[in-house]
Amino acid sequence: MSKRPSGNFETSYAQDIAICHTGFQQVVMALFLVCLLIIVPLVSSPYILSVFNIIGITIIAAIGLNILTGYAGQINLGQAGFIAVGAYMCAIMTTHLHLSFWLALPLAAIITGLVGTLFALPSLRVKGFYIAVTTLAAHMIIMWLITHGGNVTGGVEGLAADPPRFGDFIFNTEQHYYFLIIGLTVLLTYAAKNLVRTRFGRAIIAVRDNDLAAPFLGINVFRYKVMAFFICAFYAGVAGALMAGYYKMITVEYFPMLDSIWYIGYLIVGGAGSIVGTIFGVVFLKLLSQIVMWGGPLLGEVVPIFSAGAVSGLMQFTFGVIIIIFLIFEPRGLWHRWQIALSSMRIWPFPY
Amino acid sequence: MILQLAITGLMVGMVYALMALGIVVIYKCSSIFNFSHGAIVAFMCYLAWAFLVQLRLPFWTAALFLLVSAIVLGWIIQVGILRLLIGQPLLASLMVTLALMQVFGGIVTLVWPGPARFYPEIIPTGIFNVAGAVISYESLITLGVCVLAFLAFMYFFQSTKLGLAMRGTAEDHQLARSNGIRVVQMFTLAWIIAIITCSLGGVLIGNMHGVNYEPVSGLAMKALPAVMIGGMESVVGALVGGLLIGIFETIGAGFIDPLVGGGFADVFPYIAMIALIIFKPYGLFGYEKIERV
Repeated sequence: MSKRPSGNFETSYAQDIAICHTGFQQVVMALFLVCLLIIVPLVSSPYILSVFNIIGITIIAAIGLNILTGYAGQINLGQAGFIAVGAYMCAIMTTHLHLSFWLALPLAAIITGLVGTLFALPSLRVKGFYIAVTTLAAHMIIMWLITHGGNVTGGVEGLAADPPRFGDFIFNTEQHYYFLIIGLTVLLTYAAKNLVRTRFGRAIIAVRDNDLAAPFLGINVFRYKVMAFFICAFYAGVAGALMAGYYKMITVEYFPMLDSIWYIGYLIVGGAGSIVGTIFGVVFLKLLSQIVMWGGPLLGEVVPIFSAGAVSGLMQFTFGVIIIIFLIFEPRGLWHRWQIALSSMRIWPFPY
Repeated sequence: MILQLAITGLMVGMVYALMALGIVVIYKCSSIFNFSHGAIVAFMCYLAWAFLVQLRLPFWTAALFLLVSAIVLGWIIQVGILRLLIGQPLLASLMVTLALMQVFGGIVTLVWPGPARFYPEIIPTGIFNVAGAVISYESLITLGVCVLAFLAFMYFFQSTKLGLAMRGTAEDHQLARSNGIRVVQMFTLAWIIAIITCSLGGVLIGNMHGVNYEPVSGLAMKALPAVMIGGMESVVGALVGGLLIGIFETIGAGFIDPLVGGGFADVFPYIAMIALIIFKPYGLFGYEKIERV
């Protein structure tokens, strides 16, 4: 796909993989970041900021999943379980061990990464579908451990987490969290974008495309699969720790099996194997769920027998239908459509 | 105590085996693992309730209606959705059944919200004692129906021409085609058979535990570890895996739960499954796949 109307004339690999290819793109990127990090938090209402915050947390976890599923090709149906590990680790460290949130967040992320590595071990022997089932079982096992953790995890009642603070300054409004969450989202998105452009990224793409051929290129397939699992769970851990700090009180109900499926759904809708696509997918589906939250009660009024289960039922139904539609009509996701739109805009008004 | 656990395990295990059969039939034919099985079981369970209670149909008419809707549903899923996804990568075939699970779950929550419902008494209730173990008529009939269904499907696969065609499809699509088998029609047939097992299982589970989405679909999804343990391509494996899971689970509930606190029965099958995946990836009766570059 052409990056410029007249064609690509890169002379080095670094130029080819650059994020911004032209001065205009740099300006747009800078404007976008200024809008996102400065203008939006100052002018938006708390409700809009809360939507942004949830989207930000979800993007972090979904990007981790995209590195594992989209780039390394290992399907993970247990992302919500890994997020739960991160959230509970953060809550345990701040509540029981009285660590600062700023220490608990990276520690929780690393521990979650190690838990992810544990469930990557079957990938030494099996692949594809079996890995998916292992991660599904991982979700079940993690949830069981959390519900039966006694005082350590608080069981079904849940666990309180200490909000992040700087000295006397406590993060307690949507706006405070916005800077923390969106700041980390931008940082981790950039990190992921860089990660997949390194040797590691090229190696996991090779593993995805053909894991029988990859060893002949000198790639240690098992090692890279385990590393991809670590990174995926690490991102989930960061998202979980942020959730713990954001909600201040976490229970197992924040991490249903359904969420793990939604995370794969973000990749399908956005485009698996594209960091920017993940963001499209999360934003699209989260905005859709906001619309359903408004539309559900309306449907309940029009058709009275639907009223009791309108929002949750309609949400599940819409999500399922959207995924099926994307799988059938655009399996490469919104990102691919975006590329097509961009390149036809560049060459406009010519149709070639 | 042990006899009681063994008998309960056997009954629960037969239901799991029937559920596992539904998954295996589809996987054998079209290499699609049907994650929506549990949701479809719950959907059929509610549909049966709607026929029996909401429409007040007599039992056999309701059964006929359920059979017809199973056939129509199987046909719609195969022709309307899955046929369009043939040849797509693993992620697509996996995600489409997960999406179907959402669709069916959503429909059930939309149309039949609220607390559990109950079937009118189709099976006489009552219990009797055998050597200290308590057995209810319900579970005996459940067991009987499952065994009969299993025998019927075994007969179908082993001794009828259509069953042979389905087994041929499972072996190799191209060879089956060159022998004049319509492969895509076999996929449809596999889905129809699977949904018929879904309806049977849905009615049986709904009769035991009440017509309620979470428990019914959850119970039916126990077939997942059953299938993995038995081997994904094997009907015998489905039977053995289902029974093993049923026995594991009741033993877990009887002996391990008092030690670690309740609910261990729910994860025990999954732990057993992961252990088995590490040591014997293709299950007890599955085909070992050999891949070449």
